[in-house]
Amino acid sequence: MDIATLVFSALYQFGDAFAFLVLSACGLAVIFGMMGVINLAHGEFIMCGAYVTAATVHAGLPLPLGILAGTIVSALVGVLVELVVIRHLYDRPLDTIVATWGLSLIATQGTLIMVGSTMAGVGTPFGSFQVGAYSYSIYRIVLFCAALGVLVGLYALFNWTRFGVLARATIQVPHMAAALGVDTRLVYSLTFACGAGLAGLAGGLYAPTMTLVPTMGATFIMEAFVTVVIGGADVFLGTAPAGAVLAVVKSVMTSWQGQLFGQIGLLVAVIIVVRVLPKGISGFVLRERT
Amino acid sequence: MSKSVLRGLRAAALTGTLVLGSSLALAAENPIKLGVLEDQSGDFAAATIGKVHAIQLATEEINKAGGIMGRPIELVAYDTQSDNTRYQEFMRRVLQRDKVDVVFAGFSSASREAYRPIVDQFNGFAFYNNQYEGGVCDGHMIVTGAVPEQQFSTLIPYMMEKYGKNVYTLAADYNFGQISAEWVRKIVKENGGKMAGEEFIPLGVSQFSQSIQNIQKAKPDFVVTLLVGTAQASYYEQAASANVNLPMASSVNVGQGYEHKRFKPPSLKDMYVTTNYIEEIDSPKSKEFYAKFKAKFPSEPYVNQEAENSYLAVYLYKQMVERAKSTKREDIRKVIALGDVCMDAPEGKVCIDPKSQHMSHTIYLAKVGADHSISFPKTWEDIKPYWLGEAGCDLTKKDPMAQYTPSNPPPKP
Amino acid sequence: MTALVSLFRRLEGPQTVGRGPVFWGLFAIVLAVGIAYPLFSDGYTVGNTVYFFVWVFIALSLCLIWGYGGSLSFGQTAFFGIAGYGYGVLTLNFGSAYGFTLIAFVAAIVIAALFAVLLGYFMFFGRIAGVFLGIVTLAVTLMLERFMAQTAGPEWHIGSARLNGFNGMSAMPPLTIPWPGEPIVLFADVGLYYFVLGLLVFVYLALRILMNSSFGNVIVAIRENPERAEMLGYDIRKYQLITFVIGAALAGISGVLYTAWGQYITPSSMGMTAAALPLIWVAVGGRSDLTSTVVGTLVVLAAFQALTIYGSQYALVFMGVLLVLTVLIAPNGLVLGAMNWLGKLAARLTQRAG
Repeated sequence: MDIATLVFSALYQFGDAFAFLVLSACGLAVIFGMMGVINLAHGEFIMCGAYVTAATVHAGLPLPLGILAGTIVSALVGVLVELVVIRHLYDRPLDTIVATWGLSLIATQGTLIMVGSTMAGVGTPFGSFQVGAYSYSIYRIVLFCAALGVLVGLYALFNWTRFGVLARATIQVPHMAAALGVDTRLVYSLTFACGAGLAGLAGGLYAPTMTLVPTMGATFIMEAFVTVVIGGADVFLGTAPAGAVLAVVKSVMTSWQGQLFGQIGLLVAVIIVVRVLPKGISGFVLRERT
Repeated sequence: MSKSVLRGLRAAALTGTLVLGSSLALAAENPIKLGVLEDQSGDFAAATIGKVHAIQLATEEINKAGGIMGRPIELVAYDTQSDNTRYQEFMRRVLQRDKVDVVFAGFSSASREAYRPIVDQFNGFAFYNNQYEGGVCDGHMIVTGAVPEQQFSTLIPYMMEKYGKNVYTLAADYNFGQISAEWVRKIVKENGGKMAGEEFIPLGVSQFSQSIQNIQKAKPDFVVTLLVGTAQASYYEQAASANVNLPMASSVNVGQGYEHKRFKPPSLKDMYVTTNYIEEIDSPKSKEFYAKFKAKFPSEPYVNQEAENSYLAVYLYKQMVERAKSTKREDIRKVIALGDVCMDAPEGKVCIDPKSQHMSHTIYLAKVGADHSISFPKTWEDIKPYWLGEAGCDLTKKDPMAQYTPSNPPPKP
Repeated sequence: MTALVSLFRRLEGPQTVGRGPVFWGLFAIVLAVGIAYPLFSDGYTVGNTVYFFVWVFIALSLCLIWGYGGSLSFGQTAFFGIAGYGYGVLTLNFGSAYGFTLIAFVAAIVIAALFAVLLGYFMFFGRIAGVFLGIVTLAVTLMLERFMAQTAGPEWHIGSARLNGFNGMSAMPPLTIPWPGEPIVLFADVGLYYFVLGLLVFVYLALRILMNSSFGNVIVAIRENPERAEMLGYDIRKYQLITFVIGAALAGISGVLYTAWGQYITPSSMGMTAAALPLIWVAVGGRSDLTSTVVGTLVVLAAFQALTIYGSQYALVFMGVLLVLTVLIAPNGLVLGAMNWLGKLAARLTQRAG
């Protein structure tokens, strides 16, 4: 086996793990990292996106539009959830655990009752390609590109747009922002919707590659929390490097010792990083910068 | 609590009673109580709701035809929510409070191990109507599902003859997967084959890129997939999109989680499964069962092997009670010890093995085609659950109330 | 003698709700009912009540660490599991003769507490706080769960006790009290009921004393403002560590009792769902008070079980709705809210009377 094949396969595994970590974490990074809301219903937003995507594709929509529909519906559900529940809990972040756990119970069981225990998959598009002795799925490359796209998009959104600046201002010093005339309620609402939409996007993107069941969100949640905790509060400075570091840990451990150690490696990484950098990677970067 | 919630609560309570209604209407003074503990919500619901429906169907049929010895069956059903602690709570409830005569309980092996000490302690009588890793030698239990020796001693030699002797196993990293993998290893070796590789996947993992690459590196002739749970089932879609294109053999898929109906073709192409029942089986008995099932539960997504196991278990229980003229466990076990408790189930003839209280089965080899249609290249009749008996478990003589595995067999007398 | 009196005076104080003859009168009535009721009940109800009691200890541990101490531990189930498995391994190896199950009971809790010393030292002396504390403890319990889940093979054993992977370890003996003639086996019935009830009352009263002592005041001061507490000269890390270890021991009691109750312990007891449940009980009851935690936990457990029995498939939906409504309507917890309201009402009445 030649070097090029080995290098490519390592890169592919890294990219695959990176995409999964970043896509599952982005929505949570916005909601948890920025707003401090511990959203245990994050997985259910992902499930919502996946279900809507699958349903619209079954109804005849092409996959990209289906994913878009999943993203939009999740964001709308996010607006609703923020309005009814989360809005009242901003000064009590730990209570959000209980409330969102309740929401997640309602969402999983409600989906089971209304839609049934499973949903037909949509099939992975694009087929495969060959490098050396191995064949790879093209869609996985698409996922990697999507993860990069989401990161760049978030960076642009929060740094270059008026909404982004207002959102960061509101989240850092809410009363100051309010005093300066920012509609902080609207900003919170939109930020939460953005997080929910990103979760929906992750669900939509992974819908073609996974089993669609009401409990599917649970498989994302650990990776998502791990990435966000390691990343810290800043979405771009945190999530991207955290995703990269964890992807290396996970893909190396998995190829070396198997999937179990890939997972245990992630958890150990979290404990070590939290011990060494209590504010996550982005906290470390920001402190170094100032 | 809002009005609509209250209304919902009442509606839920009503449907609950309606489900039991068919038997309650009959309620003579002295019904035979059958406890049902199955996961109607949570992770496992997809594969187990059909079991509850099958029990309801059989109960309705039996009650219409006059019950068991003239006594109607009354179902006492609880939703165990795919949660082991719920099994512990409700097993105690059905045995102590509801005082049921028999319990049909459990999907995952962990749930069975959770409730088994309670059944043993209260001297209850339980049916585990599920395919599993085998080895339970307990006089309080009857197992109607298939066990590894029945599924692998048929499947693996067939696959090796047809595709080659290099085998790769991809299994869930817990008791079922590890013990099944042990069986595969053993049978491959006995047939002169070689393990190209073995990999274990923790439960709940849904991403398989690395495993797919490992398989391609090992270049096996076929892959034995012993993946469990909905998350792990994502493997097939991911393997298909990476063009792995190897034949697959399994004892769990299709027959339990009807993956061929849920995934888009051709992700399960060339999957071979040994199962004792699936709804596609084309015999008059099977078709009749399927028609009855669909007539009562038209929206049932699939009639899987566990549904059939549960259905036949009710009839088997009826036969044993009627022959023993008693619902006492000791009397029923005397009937089992005769060794001729058999019946014509939808799958074909099945019998209870008195030594292990497991069942012999007709094993069907189901092949999934490129369009996910099912064909049956081969059928084995009367395949016995031989291992426990050979290893030294004999419930007619001694009841150790334990679970054994090939690497941890019963102690030699 | 005076020491004893001052100890008992600590039973009431600023950190616990409920004081005066009315409260203790109610307490005595509840206790009397608790003692008398197995005489009028059946074996199932008693065994089921024991099962509810079993979980109260882990709820109390969270009340202590989170409610009073202000550090959210998401991983109390880790200690629950360690103690449960500890009891299983010890009793499967050494049997139940000569009261060994009781020694195993204590030893298993000590093992859990020792583990907490290590973990707590690592966390508190590393100045991990807030949500990050929750995440680290959650990571620990999930790691234990995943590791234990794959120990199905015969190579995973401690002495003669197989760990038995995801299917869980079973067949350990129940708690057994040595007795001349016939040892008393505490099956999940009246015997175990009185054992656990006694333990519960003892732990509850002991925690009341502890929380109203100067130690408890410091713990609450740290919750309210860690910097200020530190300025006042307290080494807050030490106090947090001690609270954490006591909490771990309490979670360990739950773990051992659960294992002995069902003669079974499984890795899922340390999983995500299991880890979240105590948080919910405590939050619904009222996390910053011992009495509210005890009452709340029992109410929630009984309500959820009743919902599962009578609510069929809607049970989980109702539980979810209940949780969301609780957080929105009674932010301090349902029980604590109700008790505070009752207290105010009583105060107004006495004022009016006086």
